[in-house]
Amino acid sequence: MDLPEIVRPRDLADAVRLTGEGGKPLVGGTDLFVRLRKGAERPPFLVYVGELPELRGIHETEGGVEIGAAATHVEILSAPATAQLPILRLALATIGSPALRHMGTLGGNVVNASPAGDGLVPLYLLGAQVNVVGPARERSLPVEEFVLGPGRTALQPGELIRSLTIPLPRDGAHPYFRKVGRRQALLIAVASLGALVWVEDGAVREARLALGSVAPTVLRPREVERALVGRPLTVEALAELRDALSSAVRPISDLRASADYRRRVSGNLLLDLSSLASG
Amino acid sequence: MAVETQQGGAVGQSVRKVDGPSLVAGKPLFTLDLDIPGSLVGAILPSPHAHARIVSVDTSAAEQVPGVRAILHHGNVPRVPYTTAGQGWPEPSPYDTVLFDTKVRFVGDRVAAVAAETEDAAAEALARIRVEYELLPPILSPEEALAPGAPIIHDEPDAEGIYDASHNIAAAVDIPIGDAAAALAAAPVTAEATCEIPYSQHATIEPHCVIAYFDDAGRLVVRTSTQVPFHVRRIVARVVGLDPARIRVVKPRIGGGFGSKQEVLLEPVAALLALRTGRPVRMAYTRQEVFVASRTRHPMKVTVRLGATKDGALHALEMDVLSNTGAYGAHALTVLSNVGSKTLPLYNKAPHVHFHGRAVYTNLPVAGAYRGYGATQGYFALEVAMDKLAEKLGLDPVELRRRNYIRVGETSPIFEKIGEGREGTAQIVRSCALEECLRIGAERIGWREKRGQRREEGPWVHGLGMACAMQGSGITGVDMAAATLVMQDDGSFRLLVGATDLGTGSDTILAQIAAQELGVPVDRVLVYSSDTDFTPFDTGAYASSTTYVSGNAVLRAASDVRAQILDVAAAALGERASALELAAGVVRSRKSGKSLTLSEIGHRATYVTDQRQIAATASFACPESPPPFAAFFCEVAVDRETGVVRVERFVVAADCGVAIHPQAAEGQLEGAVLQGIGHALCEEMLFSPRGRCLNAGFFDYKIPSSLDAPAIEAILVPSEEPTGPWGAKSISEVGINGPLPAISNAIYDAVGARMVRAPFTPERVRFALGVIP
Repeated sequence: MDLPEIVRPRDLADAVRLTGEGGKPLVGGTDLFVRLRKGAERPPFLVYVGELPELRGIHETEGGVEIGAAATHVEILSAPATAQLPILRLALATIGSPALRHMGTLGGNVVNASPAGDGLVPLYLLGAQVNVVGPARERSLPVEEFVLGPGRTALQPGELIRSLTIPLPRDGAHPYFRKVGRRQALLIAVASLGALVWVEDGAVREARLALGSVAPTVLRPREVERALVGRPLTVEALAELRDALSSAVRPISDLRASADYRRRVSGNLLLDLSSLASG
Repeated sequence: MAVETQQGGAVGQSVRKVDGPSLVAGKPLFTLDLDIPGSLVGAILPSPHAHARIVSVDTSAAEQVPGVRAILHHGNVPRVPYTTAGQGWPEPSPYDTVLFDTKVRFVGDRVAAVAAETEDAAAEALARIRVEYELLPPILSPEEALAPGAPIIHDEPDAEGIYDASHNIAAAVDIPIGDAAAALAAAPVTAEATCEIPYSQHATIEPHCVIAYFDDAGRLVVRTSTQVPFHVRRIVARVVGLDPARIRVVKPRIGGGFGSKQEVLLEPVAALLALRTGRPVRMAYTRQEVFVASRTRHPMKVTVRLGATKDGALHALEMDVLSNTGAYGAHALTVLSNVGSKTLPLYNKAPHVHFHGRAVYTNLPVAGAYRGYGATQGYFALEVAMDKLAEKLGLDPVELRRRNYIRVGETSPIFEKIGEGREGTAQIVRSCALEECLRIGAERIGWREKRGQRREEGPWVHGLGMACAMQGSGITGVDMAAATLVMQDDGSFRLLVGATDLGTGSDTILAQIAAQELGVPVDRVLVYSSDTDFTPFDTGAYASSTTYVSGNAVLRAASDVRAQILDVAAAALGERASALELAAGVVRSRKSGKSLTLSEIGHRATYVTDQRQIAATASFACPESPPPFAAFFCEVAVDRETGVVRVERFVVAADCGVAIHPQAAEGQLEGAVLQGIGHALCEEMLFSPRGRCLNAGFFDYKIPSSLDAPAIEAILVPSEEPTGPWGAKSISEVGINGPLPAISNAIYDAVGARMVRAPFTPERVRFALGVIP
């Protein structure tokens, strides 16, 4: 493979300028190099932004956590600030393999915009904001508006992600994350479900659900979330909403599984939330 | 003089592997680690079509690419029908292959080859070869191949040994014993299972690779990653048209074979490119090429029908096989034969047996040898059918096996009726510890307490399953191994073997077998394998043969050398050889107590009196093939909601006679079981409607990783095989036969769904569970 030249910007402004010239930002390269190798992408040069201080670091802000776009999954998993975000840790711990988690970044996961992106599921659940820096201005938009489709984002030419701001959820949320596939390691999920559920007096007070690999983007089935409110977390009660969830998803058939299976499993995974009642 | 170290009893000890330290240190030991100056790079142009006639090949643009030194295609290479299967003589696979044909038969078939100064130049040249194809309708399943009026894949007139080319049948076997149909119809209880296995990969770490170069005398040296160096020499000579005496094949360290390298693929191409250019040529398959252009397991559909009396005695056994050999018939007949010959004797009590099978051509990748060699496919159906029969009888599946398996002193007519593509050899079983294997395995997994309990944990339901299997130890009437053992002047030994260590540890095991006989520690025996110029013949590392067949040759050579040592010592000490004993590097007289060290004896024979080389070459031809036995038990958890199957524990108890190197034997079991779990849960090559492999690489074709490996408990249950070297039998294949049926049976125990099509993916399991949660 002939790699494009890699340039190292002096500072963030330089990185923005180089990106504006068509350079592709690079940190871990775990997705990018695969795409370059396949010839799926042919940028004139790469901009290594992994050492820019503005893109690094994970720190608490008022009411949330800010994660630099160049922070690796391992850094995020071990940062004290993310202890308050167990759902994020649950999901990131299932990404790829140790090697991939050491190289790959959450920012990269977001910009890659894969419907199977394990890192995106918790960001959807938590209502994360994507902070973008560009030649003219900085702007901030919810992850659900940032991701437009498989591999498509709201990034304009010359823009790059600076950081992600994740608001802390209200206390008492039960986190749930599971992905389904043929094996455990280095797995691209056939379907995944993440959830945050608040329970009061044996009934759901609030529920947030996010599904991966079953639609062009990660999906929040808001009708099902609302319908969960007031129900007990029993298999029977959850089973009543199974069909609703199955019809909320828009899966495709590919090498890994058929659309029918994905639809059915999405609904069935809902039943697994009954495990939160005991935990 | 060398110091004599003290250590006896090499056999049965997990000594350090003789090649361990250099492997760990990353020494340049593998085929491509050798950098020969001036080497060209060889590359192959694959067919983009599943079935087509080549109308023309235009290489003029490719020849213009700077650095291109040779281009081979059907127009400039002699047409010699052969088989790529590296087997003994007479070759049982059909001669249905030529190096470059005027027809392509699968996506990835060889159209042309290039040698160039650089990889880039070779790739550029391949891209510039213009081939005009006339497309033919592709056949993508064995059923289509057998349909009336199907296109004929092998219509070339010069093929030999195809069973029925006009109906796309590469090979067929029909062995009736008694009247199975009538016995089944009359049986009080019957059970039937049809099981399917798809295309799957060996997934060796090292791909197929070769360097062909010329030595100082102008002889062609083929350094290759192979299981069969002597067959490579024979086949390359014939296909390339070179005197075999001008070819030397060197097998260095090998990064795994599992059968995929019992196949002569790149060697004749590299040899021909080297001959055409007069330059060294190196070639290696990319992983994608390994997937589509090397070899796979034979996909099969196997139906087993069992008839039994009410007390569970098998009375009739019928097995019907449809094997997909792909575009060429490498191992078509022999793998097909082994589906029956390695399975049916296990339950030898049935007087009525019928084995029937066909291996059929399709326009898909070529199947070949793969650990288990048909037995794996056969046991899947046989052991699922046994589970069904046990249920119908209301009998514990372990008990059903117990009432039917072959015992010491017994035989099966199958041994004699089915051999490697011809009649086999009658034999009786002389060692069998299956009873112990069943008892220990059942106890270890908790069979009595846990089976049928359907313990639930949320959506997960637990279940237990089991299976039995046997294999062989070498091929009777075919396999022959030889060993040369030389005593040096310092009293140490050189052991030269044609046996081919693929990473299996056979160099170490053969050294142990010799060391035990010679009364020396293993590190006093230097092993060299395998090189057709320097080591004696061996049919190769396949069919679970090395420990038993090559090991027996080594033991014979060692006893001969031992006798020579005692003769020299007897003369030196003035005593009779029968009064002497050899232990711990010292020959001592039981009468006088006088002694000589081995180094003194080596020195004396080499330099002092009655000078001679103490050495022996011995061979062993395989008169019988003692089966190793194994009992497999596993616990699975099945998620009813998603269909995901988790193997919680896997217990395998196996009888390989006396384990020469217990740790290596356990490693063989663990590796085989994990490979079998891959077959059961995730591995499957997928094809487009035009026959292109859709997941040719590890990104989309998943093998179990370390995180997927359950706790595998491998237990060696000793027996003593009287015909084996120090009581040993084989162990390398038997372990892969159990996981498919044992896991299928465990899923049934958990959720009541019979999984008969591998792999048992979440989707298939969920489908089998139906709509109920």
